[in-house]
Amino acid sequence: MVRTYSVRSPLLKRHLRELRGDPGKYLVIFVLLVVTIGFISGFLVADGSMIKAYNGSFEKYNVEDGNFRSQKKLSRAQLRAAEKLGVTVEENFYADTPMENGSTVRIFKIREHVNTVCLMEGRLPEREGEIAIDRAYARNNGIPVGEEICSADGRLRLTVVGYAALPDYSTMFSDNNDTMFDALKFGVSVVTAEQFAQIPEKNLQYCYTWQYNDPPANEEQEKDRAEDLSGDLIREVKLESFIPRFQNQAIKFTGEDMGSDKAMMEVLFYIMIAIIAFVFAVTISNTITHEAAVIGTLRASGFTRGELIRHYMFLPVVVTLISALAGNLLGYTFFKYICVQMYYNSYSLPTYETVWSSEAFWKTTLIPVVMMIVITYTALRYKLGLSPLKFLRRDLKRHGTKRALPLNPRIPFMSRFRMRVLFQNIPNYLILAMGILFANVLLLFGLGLPNVLDRYEKIVAETLLAKYQYILQVPMEALDEDHKLEGFLNMALFADAVETENPTAEKFSFYSLRTPTDTPYKNEEVMLYGMKAGSRYVTVPEDGTVLVSKSYALKYDLEPGSVIELQEQYGTKRYAFRVSGVTDYESAICVFMEQKALNRVFEMDDGYFVGYMASEPITDIDPKYIGTVIDADSLLKVSRQLKISMGSMMYLVDAFSVVIFIVLIYLLSKVIIEKNAQSISMVKILGYTGGEIGGLYIRATTIAAVLCMAGTLPLCYHFLKYIMKIMMRMEMTGWISLNIDGIVYLKVIALGVISYAVVAVLEYKKIASVPMDEALKNVE
Amino acid sequence: MEIRQIRKSFGTGENRVEVLRGIDLSLDKGTFCVLLGPSGSGKSTLLNIVGGIDGADSGDIVISGEKMSSMSEKKLTLYRRHHLGYIFQMYNLIPNLTVRENIEVGAYLSKNPLSVDDLLHTLGLWEHRGKVPGQLSGGQQQRTAIGRAVVKNPDILLCDEPTGALDYKTSKDILSLIEKVNRLYGNTVIMVTHNDAIRNMADVVVKLRDGSISKIYRNAVRTRAEDLEW
Repeated sequence: MVRTYSVRSPLLKRHLRELRGDPGKYLVIFVLLVVTIGFISGFLVADGSMIKAYNGSFEKYNVEDGNFRSQKKLSRAQLRAAEKLGVTVEENFYADTPMENGSTVRIFKIREHVNTVCLMEGRLPEREGEIAIDRAYARNNGIPVGEEICSADGRLRLTVVGYAALPDYSTMFSDNNDTMFDALKFGVSVVTAEQFAQIPEKNLQYCYTWQYNDPPANEEQEKDRAEDLSGDLIREVKLESFIPRFQNQAIKFTGEDMGSDKAMMEVLFYIMIAIIAFVFAVTISNTITHEAAVIGTLRASGFTRGELIRHYMFLPVVVTLISALAGNLLGYTFFKYICVQMYYNSYSLPTYETVWSSEAFWKTTLIPVVMMIVITYTALRYKLGLSPLKFLRRDLKRHGTKRALPLNPRIPFMSRFRMRVLFQNIPNYLILAMGILFANVLLLFGLGLPNVLDRYEKIVAETLLAKYQYILQVPMEALDEDHKLEGFLNMALFADAVETENPTAEKFSFYSLRTPTDTPYKNEEVMLYGMKAGSRYVTVPEDGTVLVSKSYALKYDLEPGSVIELQEQYGTKRYAFRVSGVTDYESAICVFMEQKALNRVFEMDDGYFVGYMASEPITDIDPKYIGTVIDADSLLKVSRQLKISMGSMMYLVDAFSVVIFIVLIYLLSKVIIEKNAQSISMVKILGYTGGEIGGLYIRATTIAAVLCMAGTLPLCYHFLKYIMKIMMRMEMTGWISLNIDGIVYLKVIALGVISYAVVAVLEYKKIASVPMDEALKNVE
Repeated sequence: MEIRQIRKSFGTGENRVEVLRGIDLSLDKGTFCVLLGPSGSGKSTLLNIVGGIDGADSGDIVISGEKMSSMSEKKLTLYRRHHLGYIFQMYNLIPNLTVRENIEVGAYLSKNPLSVDDLLHTLGLWEHRGKVPGQLSGGQQQRTAIGRAVVKNPDILLCDEPTGALDYKTSKDILSLIEKVNRLYGNTVIMVTHNDAIRNMADVVVKLRDGSISKIYRNAVRTRAEDLEW
């Protein structure tokens, strides 16, 4: 009767049955994992594909090496002279047209050679009266293809025949000096040559692009070449602006910004996977407690610990693996579009092709599976480390017999009972607290960001330095060092032209430096204002120390006595300033000092100034001398842009955090009920009603959940504040304070309570279904 | 199997209780041994030490010339895997595996397991082979547990109160089965029980009291399980 044959472990058959027996648990974890992995995979794929499309656009659309603007149209002789400098120059004239909807559209002629147009939808204009507008601008302003758009003065009416992306405007900077782009109030467009010819000459900007005949080999060479070119060009052409590509924010910003939030996404993702792994560990630990006697028997029969660890690890790891594969599939199909849309909301990128990303695959498949293996293995090794005998005796405590915590008998019996349930489940509640903390951080972020941006806008409007800041623009010809006399005359002319009668106007100096390049943070521009002593706008110290704006102080933890070190924008020279105070100004990273001191530090004449601050608009200076006007509207570009680019994502974050919340509470309260199935069954036999039992087992979880929800909120706020600070330092210029209204916290709690209520209803049903014979089964 | 001077105590200081006070016992292969004694006499502890799931404070057990005290945890697991079958008072079956699969759990551990089909017939479980434990009576569950222990054809079958949770008739059925297994496959059986009547079906009867062997004797004739009365 004895035969030699091998048997496949019948334990394998349990996996499918376990799945079928408890589909809820695995389904919610599966869904959560698929959504999480899908989103991150989609994000990484979109990121990789878009970066490739962006990098490829330089060659594909023959992007300029730079552009300059002259006061007048260049003559043939000037063009020839310019081209002798080793560049090919092309016209790229435009007209900025204020539109009916309050925005400005920059109209170009369809380009043929340089910065060629990428058509995104519809077609390019073929006849007069047609226009193709930037896709992001169109979307932000709700302009469909086929609609007619109209200039503010009503003279220009054009039908939108298509959406386009211009490679020299992947980010909508209307002015290269702007601190932030604005794809809502500014857009670019192309029309036919015939249509373009109808634009009155006075509205035209004579912009020219150049491309080097012999392209520079590296960035350093590019800088040298640009410097040489600008010096040479000034001699031939009256320049109004000169922007080499590496300084052109409209072209470079996208490349620098894309992928910058990748690190943050990845960290959040891995925290999420770790939480799911812990949830698995808790449920496994519960299963082990439940199956203690069986495990004891198996161990006594000769099953090794390793075999059992592998057995209990199998499902979590396989579920993670399948979720990762399904998530990747969704990532490449569904989520990629959502993430691409996020980029398209902010940037005017050309069409893209999906690029297979091995990075996305290993980051969203291998790492989660490895994390799941490590966490569940560690938990199982610990849990199954007890002797078979202990399992047989269902004695899974490691440190002797736990004594019951003495409870005052005057506490009502039901309350004592509930407290015992609470104490018994402390490890589960700790995981619950972690999960709620994570979900709350996301929820607070999702619900809080719009509020933060609103508050920021309010603060910006309330704390303006002056209602208007005019930065004057010195014509390039005044800076011509080779024709000093001409330059001097031009400068004198300029100095005379920029005097104002406005009684509120006050001259100020300005210099821009950057934060040092050797810090781990993102390099950012710091604006130094030189204000006259006794200024009505900012009271500056007269002892050589400086004031810093509140945003600067908050972002870099500055206080009176701190010393700040700053570096030349395009050089290595450093300057140190001692801070003696902080102003209320919160709109930018600024330093304020006495005008004379600033002029001296930067080796300028005592009388040097760059512009005016005024509380009334200045009307007696020719607009051509005014480079930039900083008013509340221009300072709000940051928050406007954030609202547009993050708007749709916030709903996703909200939805995601609610899902995490529900899943965690569902799984953990399920564990608690399962753990107590026998007691629940027993009290049922004794005659307790469903309500009473729910009151014992669900209310304990309710108390824990509510305590976690309310208790973790302050922690969430500080955690979010910390993350925001790091993120702003690492990835963003400027500063937005995390000011969240009380109502947002209430919303977070309300969403938490509603999510919990959904789960509680499910759990009440589950309690009702615990059979009474549970108590009579398998008890020694 | 040689059991030499096994001592075991629990607790420390004043709470220290000596459960086994130097047990010596020698059993030949194929012997049916019954350990009798009142609660707390140390019979289950002795069985667990023989089974390698509990350790002795001193003394040793030698099986086929190898000392258990010198075995590592891993080796002890292998010892259990290859030489032992366990039957408990509570059947400890895996709830989501069928009768057949529960028996296969034991077969999986053995290089030369018995035929599961034959065993299902022998145990009278053929009709129930597709049922899960929740669908079985206590007796049927214990038969399945016996099947799981026996199928790997162990050298030693350890039974801890196998009829403790069963009624009179079912208990007799189970005892008959164990007897049959012992006769058929020639495994050494050590059965812990407090049911005095069962001693008559054993080759060797060991009576324990307060951690010591109070009496040990051989039955000249083994009574058939079905003829036992209590």
